[in-house]
Amino acid sequence: MVENLVLGIGVTALAGALATVAGAAEDTESDIGSQGDPNSQVQLAPQMGYIHRIYNKAISGEPPAYGLWCALGAGIAWALMAINLNAILALIVGAAIAVFVQGVYATTAYLGRTASLAKFEQPVYIDILKSVTTVTMAHAFVAIFTTISMCYLMVAALGHPFPLPLLGLVWGIALGAAGSATGNPFYGKERQYQEQKFGAGVPISASGNIVRYAEAGQRSSLDNGWFTSKLAGPASGICFGLIVFFELWRTVLFESFAAGWGAVIAGVVIILIFTVIDRYVETWARNTFGPYAEAPAEAEEAAS
Amino acid sequence: MSVKVEVSEGGVPHDRIMAIGLVGSLVAIYLTYLNVLTGTQLFSFFGGIGAVFAIWWGTDSIKTLCSYGIGTGVPSAGMISLGSGVIAMLLATKMGVASPIGAVIIAAVLGVILGFLSDKVLNMNIPVMIRMLTELTIAGALILLGFSSMATGSFAFLDMIAGSTTFFGIEVATYSVSLIGGSVIAVIFMLGGIAIQHPFNACLGPNESQDRTQMCAAECGFLSMIAVAVMSFAFLSVGAAILGFIVAFVGWIYTYMEYIKLSKRDAFAWLDAKPIREPKGGA
Repeated sequence: MVENLVLGIGVTALAGALATVAGAAEDTESDIGSQGDPNSQVQLAPQMGYIHRIYNKAISGEPPAYGLWCALGAGIAWALMAINLNAILALIVGAAIAVFVQGVYATTAYLGRTASLAKFEQPVYIDILKSVTTVTMAHAFVAIFTTISMCYLMVAALGHPFPLPLLGLVWGIALGAAGSATGNPFYGKERQYQEQKFGAGVPISASGNIVRYAEAGQRSSLDNGWFTSKLAGPASGICFGLIVFFELWRTVLFESFAAGWGAVIAGVVIILIFTVIDRYVETWARNTFGPYAEAPAEAEEAAS
Repeated sequence: MSVKVEVSEGGVPHDRIMAIGLVGSLVAIYLTYLNVLTGTQLFSFFGGIGAVFAIWWGTDSIKTLCSYGIGTGVPSAGMISLGSGVIAMLLATKMGVASPIGAVIIAAVLGVILGFLSDKVLNMNIPVMIRMLTELTIAGALILLGFSSMATGSFAFLDMIAGSTTFFGIEVATYSVSLIGGSVIAVIFMLGGIAIQHPFNACLGPNESQDRTQMCAAECGFLSMIAVAVMSFAFLSVGAAILGFIVAFVGWIYTYMEYIKLSKRDAFAWLDAKPIREPKGGA
């Protein structure tokens, strides 16, 4: 019993660590490719007259896209394991084929969106296709491989009743949602609008006026990955890692209580605790940094 | 994008695309029945071809539906297509030889109900809503049935829930190593759902052209078919799975090359390692 518990906690910690890496890689990948909500400004910029050299990876929202990549990786790994291939090898091949599909989707999205903007004189830059696609594929491989490895751990070590492909789908959607909700604001609201005043929001007149030039030369999407990997990636990693860790931790520890209801009650308690923490952080941030509208006036007073 | 996108000039009318898609898909899925008649699994790849036809047709339906200013609704349209289609497809697999036809009929009924609910009850008031949701449900059901029959070599429910595994050298029947028991159908769901919405989502914009979008649809279909071919190694003989893979790969290479050519044709300029050219009188 105790040995089982110790193994369970160990697997939980390992799965949480894998999920942290997955979250960080996923967010960096989507920021390099401009997927998710920041994509709308990348799409809008040429229409407002701002021709740019930023990738435009409009595949769908991140949750469905990552649902596909992880379900596909897990599905292929499952199929190869069904014909008695080694599990590690099967996971690697699964992730590799899923990344191939991701890369092809990325290129068709960039070509399609950019070619359809011909009216606004936005050219297709082939060097972007060659240099950025491979970088997003590398990050996507890390994200997919760690996620499906984590799913495999749940099945093989914790005895999860779901088959591997279904776990891949569920956790892939969760991964995409975590990266989209946590990391994207840093790219979409901070990085793209560095030319606006801090806290100014995005007025309509600034729509599409995204950062296009660098200290020297022009911004590429790789610079955006460098920028967001500092805070947005790790934040997404912590978010997804905590989700996976607490999800497994409550099940491993409390499932034996009250015929399984123990885990459900523990889950509700964890959500309540996090609601209180989130509320505290939000009010603290608003009191410390806000309100946004009056910030410039206060700054002038302080200066005079 | 909330601009109403008109059907591209000189394009193929939607009715013709629907006819080709529906008939082509049904015929191709029925060709997998040659497996039963000849006692082999070599004809399984026809299921994938059927799914490609359905994706090609569904893309144009999404384009017609989403031209009414629901740009962010494009991925959702793909999801509702496959989500309602899976119900029709699972029910229809119990019908034996009539499965593909049954899937179309059940999906049509389901699609009309869903279309009525979203158009009249939820008051979305989009003129083509009922028809397009019906088409999308049928396309979704055919995509699932096509890819499932490609993976298992049959469109019968029993073949999708029963599999076999080798246990210490002895073959034992098991439900967990099957298309539905192993949740491979969830992967097919996502492959179809993303493939049907991606072409229009990727190509939308003022210079969208129908042949490019439809070529992208065929490309996405064959790409999904490659993935299904790899997974079919778990269910089919090695020869049948390799044949499916080769057919899918050749189809994908051809359509991908054509898509790049069409993108080059439509693009404003095709530059390699060149700086930003600010437009005259632009920002």
